[in-house]
Amino acid sequence: MESPAKKPNTRGILDWFDPRGRQVGGWGFILNRLTAIGLTVYLYLHLVMLGKLAQGPEAYDSFIAFAKQPLIMFGEMLVIIGGLYHGLNGVRIALNSFGVAVPAQKQLLYGVLGLTLVGSLIFGLRMLAAH
Amino acid sequence: MSEEKWTVNFVVYRKKGDGEPHYQTFTLEVSPDEYVIDGVERIWAFHDRSLVFAHACHHSTCGACGMRVNGVEKLTCITRIRDVTKNGGTLRIEPLRNFPVISDLVVDMSRLYVGMDKVHAPAVHPLSLAPLEGEGIKPPRDVPMDGGKEYLRLADCIECGLCISACPVAGTAEEYLGPAVLAAAQLQGLKRAPDLAEVVDCVDGVWRCHSAYECTAVCPSNVDPGWRIMDLRRQVLAQRIKRWFGGA
Amino acid sequence: MSQFHAIVIGAGFTGVAIAHDLALRGFRVTVVERGPIANGTSGRTHGLLHSGARYAVNDQESAIECIQENQILRLIVPDAIEPNGGLFIAVDESDLEYREKFIQGCEECKIPIRELTPKEALRIEPNLNPKLLTAFTVPDGTFDPLRLALAFAATAKSNGAVFHLYTDVVDLLTDGQGNIKGVKVWNRANDKRFEIEGDIVVNATGAWVGQITSMAGIRVPIAPTPGVMVAYDKRLTQRAINRLNKPGDGDIVLPQRRMMVVGTTSFSIEDPDYVPVLPDHVALMIERGSELIPALRQTKERGAYMATRPLIGSGAPGRSISRTFKAYDHKETDNIEGLVTITGGKATTLRLMAEKTVDLVCKKLGVNVPCTTAETPLISYRKFYVD
Repeated sequence: MESPAKKPNTRGILDWFDPRGRQVGGWGFILNRLTAIGLTVYLYLHLVMLGKLAQGPEAYDSFIAFAKQPLIMFGEMLVIIGGLYHGLNGVRIALNSFGVAVPAQKQLLYGVLGLTLVGSLIFGLRMLAAH
Repeated sequence: MSEEKWTVNFVVYRKKGDGEPHYQTFTLEVSPDEYVIDGVERIWAFHDRSLVFAHACHHSTCGACGMRVNGVEKLTCITRIRDVTKNGGTLRIEPLRNFPVISDLVVDMSRLYVGMDKVHAPAVHPLSLAPLEGEGIKPPRDVPMDGGKEYLRLADCIECGLCISACPVAGTAEEYLGPAVLAAAQLQGLKRAPDLAEVVDCVDGVWRCHSAYECTAVCPSNVDPGWRIMDLRRQVLAQRIKRWFGGA
Repeated sequence: MSQFHAIVIGAGFTGVAIAHDLALRGFRVTVVERGPIANGTSGRTHGLLHSGARYAVNDQESAIECIQENQILRLIVPDAIEPNGGLFIAVDESDLEYREKFIQGCEECKIPIRELTPKEALRIEPNLNPKLLTAFTVPDGTFDPLRLALAFAATAKSNGAVFHLYTDVVDLLTDGQGNIKGVKVWNRANDKRFEIEGDIVVNATGAWVGQITSMAGIRVPIAPTPGVMVAYDKRLTQRAINRLNKPGDGDIVLPQRRMMVVGTTSFSIEDPDYVPVLPDHVALMIERGSELIPALRQTKERGAYMATRPLIGSGAPGRSISRTFKAYDHKETDNIEGLVTITGGKATTLRLMAEKTVDLVCKKLGVNVPCTTAETPLISYRKFYVD
């Protein structure tokens, strides 16, 4: 068959994140990708912060003071939510990959989201209390 | 089918040769109980003979008429207009994703067929491979077929390509075998077809899947590729674990 | 190997089978089709691989063709066929009156049948109407229409045939004296127009043959005769179920994947390009189909569609016209050289239609190569898409 264009009809990674027309499992996938990217970015920030230790106690203390700002605390909260979701969803996919509970993948995803919410609330309250 | 009439705007993806793609709107009077393919065929018959679209059986046994309808992969011959739009509403009709567009609504699905051949997917197989339980028939086991052979049936997979179009990773991994192909491998099983282990236990095989389950959501033909990919993973893992413990 | 170039118009069942036969006999083959493979009547058949029993009483010529071709197709294209057999069942007294004629007709046409008691029939097919009076097994089957056509097309392609899909024939090329020497085409996929010259043009456009022959000023007696079919969302039998009676509306119910397909009706139209699905015909299908399989009433409709049979003859179309086929050499009928038209027939006899047509083409061109399609297994239908 003649096919003038051999290039597949895709927008590449943009199609990962476009939620239009996606169903429950697809939303799980989108969140998984977003949290993965977020956590990767955080990992680099974390390494930068650890680098402060090498610059001595003053640099470290001033950084800790900076980190007490609400915006940074909001960021930390996002890290917790992302980490919880990504980890719990990992457990869901690992279970599925062993052939466990695949037909219940949607319900598992709702469970993952529920646990993420509960875990984040607990952490958030404790963080506020400690503040 | 009722006498009810709806006015529906078909916004159709158009592309000729190397030309730029664009959308063209056709306003049709339809019965809401007609199927989307009926509307597309009428656009060709009465409005624009240059429209290129694929179709054959019009009852979901051939898999030719897969398109994206309002952004979701549909087999247009069994998609009632009533279920995807409203009176005065819009139907955005686009070709499948993740395949090269030949023209308008037709894509080159050779990627899928190469994969299906690679796992020697059976088009017709013994009933026992995919029994029809839950379908209301249980033929007695002791009744032999003509010539004493087992009942054969056409495979559930109609090779329509909807699953590959809906899969978010198939768009970024051109070499990925894709849901239909992995499902066909699972149907045969690694015990029955041990040569398939090598084909599917690789980065572009079962391990490329990221569990979005969009394939299962759009499959029009009872294949449930998402479940089958996960089951195939289980089979691959079971084989590996056996091997670690010195099994065959 | 002959160097003759044959142009086949149409890639439905007849066209692809002719392309395959021509390619096997050494022709250079070009197929021109305005849509994808089998987008017209062929794709929209309900998929019954006829045993011939349906025609054994009223149309024995078709019946004999069917049983012979049925056996051949099972061997050469097993990838497209569920060879599970079929049943003819009687559910009322008028059906029973047909029994004797049916037995005699099948015997005359050498169609192997076996009578079952109602109990035996219900045991192998529990969803049949429990009131059935008698049943006969027949060697029916179900085929996948697209894959049947693709298998022929793929094999033709592997033997050198070139397919131009989404390409309309807009005119016939003539030599100035009215003889046909090729086709003028429009490829709609890239919007290019070009001409293809050949030694013979085979018009295999089924219900649309008149549209092609009218380009040469020829009329052929063809009666486009549509019928509706309805697919239901559950598989209720393993075998094709037929009504033990004269062919009529909604008297075939056959399984396909996880569906049942009920067909069909019969009426006449002028233009086969678009035929709407008529709601009263759909209602008739459930009415008639559920007389054979009552559970259909509780089953959801999955799809409804219309296909246009190319029946030969004009005047009163429908059930009375023979389901056999005819190849016309327009040199003989209209004194126009270079054009052959094939029409009529049915899916089950596609290979035979091709054999007779290519025999005619060979005779015209003085080519002496026998037909071997009955012994040649077809390659995987997937090879059509993959070079």
